[in-house]
Amino acid sequence: MPWVSITILIPLVASVALLLLPGAERRTARAVALIASLLTLASSIVVLVLFDRQLAALQQVDHLDWIPAAGMSWDVGVDGISIWLVMLTTVIFLLGTIAACQHLPEQRGPAFLGLIMLAQAGLLGLFTAGDLVLFYVFWEFMLIPFALLIWNWGGSDRRGAGMIFVVYTMVGSLLMLVAILATGILAMDATGQLSFLIRDLQGVAFGEATATVLLAGFLLAFAIKIPLWPFHGWLPRAYSQAPIVVTILLAAVMSKAGVYGLLRVGLPVFPEGVGNLIIPVAILALVGILYGSLLAWRAPTMRLLVGYSSLAHLGFIVLGIIVIDRMAAQGAVLQMINHGIVVAAAFAVVMLIARGTGTEDMDRLGGLAKGAPRLAVAFLFITMAALALPGSNAFVGEFFILGGVFQQYAWMAVIAMLGVVYAAVYMLRIYQSTMNGPVRGVRDDGRAAEMRGRDAIILVPLILMMLWIAVWPGSLVDYTTASTDAAVAPAQIAEARPVEQIGVTR
Amino acid sequence: MNAGAALTLYVMGAVTVLVFLLAVTPLRGRWRRLPEIVGLAGVAATAGIAVAQWGERQVAFAGEIQIDRFSLLMTWIVMIAAAASILLAWGEPAAAGRRPEFTGLVLAAATGMMLTVMSGNLIILFIGIELLSVSLYILCAIEVTREGSLESGIKYLITGSIGTAILIYGFSLLYGVTGTTSLAGIAERLGTVDGLLDEPLLVAAIALIVVALGFKASAVPFHMWTPDVYQGAPTPVTALMSTGTKAAAMGAFLLLFTGATQQAAGDWRGLIGALAVATMVVGNVGALLQDNVKRMLAWSSVAQAGYLLIGVAVGTLAGAESLIYYLFAYVAMTLASFAIVILREREVEDGDRLVAFTGYGRARPWAGVVMTLALLSLAGFPPLAGFVGKFLLFGSAVDADMAWLAIVGAVASAVSVVYYLRVVITMWAPQPDGAAEPRRLQVPASVATVAVAGAVAVVGLAIWAQPLLDLCAGAARALIIP
Repeated sequence: MPWVSITILIPLVASVALLLLPGAERRTARAVALIASLLTLASSIVVLVLFDRQLAALQQVDHLDWIPAAGMSWDVGVDGISIWLVMLTTVIFLLGTIAACQHLPEQRGPAFLGLIMLAQAGLLGLFTAGDLVLFYVFWEFMLIPFALLIWNWGGSDRRGAGMIFVVYTMVGSLLMLVAILATGILAMDATGQLSFLIRDLQGVAFGEATATVLLAGFLLAFAIKIPLWPFHGWLPRAYSQAPIVVTILLAAVMSKAGVYGLLRVGLPVFPEGVGNLIIPVAILALVGILYGSLLAWRAPTMRLLVGYSSLAHLGFIVLGIIVIDRMAAQGAVLQMINHGIVVAAAFAVVMLIARGTGTEDMDRLGGLAKGAPRLAVAFLFITMAALALPGSNAFVGEFFILGGVFQQYAWMAVIAMLGVVYAAVYMLRIYQSTMNGPVRGVRDDGRAAEMRGRDAIILVPLILMMLWIAVWPGSLVDYTTASTDAAVAPAQIAEARPVEQIGVTR
Repeated sequence: MNAGAALTLYVMGAVTVLVFLLAVTPLRGRWRRLPEIVGLAGVAATAGIAVAQWGERQVAFAGEIQIDRFSLLMTWIVMIAAAASILLAWGEPAAAGRRPEFTGLVLAAATGMMLTVMSGNLIILFIGIELLSVSLYILCAIEVTREGSLESGIKYLITGSIGTAILIYGFSLLYGVTGTTSLAGIAERLGTVDGLLDEPLLVAAIALIVVALGFKASAVPFHMWTPDVYQGAPTPVTALMSTGTKAAAMGAFLLLFTGATQQAAGDWRGLIGALAVATMVVGNVGALLQDNVKRMLAWSSVAQAGYLLIGVAVGTLAGAESLIYYLFAYVAMTLASFAIVILREREVEDGDRLVAFTGYGRARPWAGVVMTLALLSLAGFPPLAGFVGKFLLFGSAVDADMAWLAIVGAVASAVSVVYYLRVVITMWAPQPDGAAEPRRLQVPASVATVAVAGAVAVVGLAIWAQPLLDLCAGAARALIIP
């Protein structure tokens, strides 16, 4: 059975069904969305079970010619880098769908759920695409549902926020399209056959100059999507104007698209070009870490704080990938998952507080721990994970990244370390100002914000996953090692790194 | 010599005359729609013959008319545009009482378009372009009681005549250089006669022809007439102009450049490339500022002409193939979007203004979906036909070492997202508080057919692109195989 394709098609079919439902059919819509999300999760679990950890290459590949004359094909599969991102997508979207069903917008609820399903299909396709054109198709494809979700159900400035989000992304991605075309056509000169399959392109030697230019074309698109400083202009507006469920999905899953592309496409296809871009990209990532941390420290609302912290954390991940070190790349892959889980949980807490108190403004809140002790405990746990306290899941990932970076460029690790310090500052700030201190801005000690059973359905699984990764990171890394090593090895070889650092023998 | 090969032209000519005869016959009651039905039947018959004739080249009238894969595929595009135009005008209240002439003129214009793409000779090509232009001058002004329509007609007449004058000037120079008006003959002379390619007159001829065809295809800087004419003309006519005329002009470009003067490609590749760049940039920027959907679509059609010109500028078979594919995609998405504009125009006064579309998607979801698909495809979002077309066109540019065309095209497409999505957002936005429910009429089946068919094609041509691409490849080969 083509399980990977099925995993993509379930949410796609469900989204069409949901978009066709009349606005009044809210019960049916909830049922369809929940069942579809569960089925998608089940299907992705099948993919996980069938996964062979020893293989570095794309596996469980479903290949179907689309436009052979243009070298386009439907080609999806999973490898060690994408398998956990697929799982992250299906899990977070299931939780997001539950949250959306609990508070379905008054206006056109079925369409809201339908667009969420459409976004899920797009992201799953992106994480599994084995063909560059298909990668691009899904890259663009997911933009539409997210933009429509912001436009139709967002805050007061939703139009501007959505438009900026779309235009930023399009500028980068259309140049990526040109880079994809150039890659395919230049590869055709070498191989005599037009193909956009990533596995075919990996073997092509483009030469240093060409590879640098092509990689730069891809990098712009990735940098905007990640976002890497200074391409983050869309982030604060989109994150703060989107409905909070959509913000969760954007921050937890969509933000991984760029870093995934860098590791899955950028490094393996253009290894000769990576060397020239290590320092510039690393500097941008470092600035992003510091800048994001500072903004998070001074952010007025909880949502912006978590949003900017996300900018800093993604800087870490980019750093882990671009220094082309096995350990750092391993950490980056792990941290993609960690960040997805932690940021989803953090935004979920923001959602609960905002619902209970009617504000996201930190200056107007305080002392919620008194009336909402269970929420406070959960939030404390999430805070600890977000600031990567030793023993938390994020600690493992950041440790890997910093260790690997230190080995290659010690000064980068020193600067990045500041980000870890800052993380403690801003995360403790959000925790303290909302949970501790005198009770402010709420009636009844803030009991309305307390975590109830229905909220626990969303938060508890996330916390359990954090615990699981904290205790047993090996269970994830086992799957990712082979593919990650293979992804960075060509660039390491091109950079003439010491042989003992390279995990793959030619 | 095989005069029967030109059967499609005879059919179209006969049907045109028949419809004009019906126009002067008083028709009542159930016979009222006879001209349209006869017209549609003629179009369908022509399309059918075109399918039956598919194959190796046949010539008629000593090679002046060429029936080959290229002209037949282009005929298909023209027939789609003509049929859609007749359907879109079906029961149009504004054209009441003038319907028979309307159908006749659409058929005459379509015949001109066919003649253009079938021509094997400069003279025939010129006649074809004139036939389509003159018919369209009248069509633009057919709503004689509306000032906008008359203004549109007169503007088109004046600018169109200048284009015609330049075209005939360019043709005469080309004849002067090569000593023949036959397209095949020109190609042969340029390939065999020494020193002909260095002839300065040839460059002048090419420049003049580029300018003239630029007028017809509304390429920048010869696009000034487009927004006014498109906005003022009755919308079914605008739909015909932006699809059929564009296709015919692009067909002429391909015949004259990729085909006849292929040997002189060095002279025109840069020129047409520059034209494409200017057209993409100006068209997209111009469209940004519009708050009238019809006018926005006019500017967008300028921008789209820029993308299409990439396929000419590269001068390769891959370019021609991509261009023909993109023409199909472009016709589908343009007709779908104009159909929705027509729907709205019939419901409210000034229905082509952007504000008139506020909340229209919520009031009429299927129309919202059609318009959204059409506009997203125009913007080049995957996996729609517009994306596949742009992908192929940009690919042909990169392949021909003209990657700069692809880069400009990509940036221009990013700009275009703003104005296409503005319409989409407006359509799905809620009605402002206190506004009356949007007025809704019963949807005319003919308009709905065009809209839905266009939307289906936008999706279908992308997913099953390969069969059409095979046809396009055959058509492109027919351009240069003698």
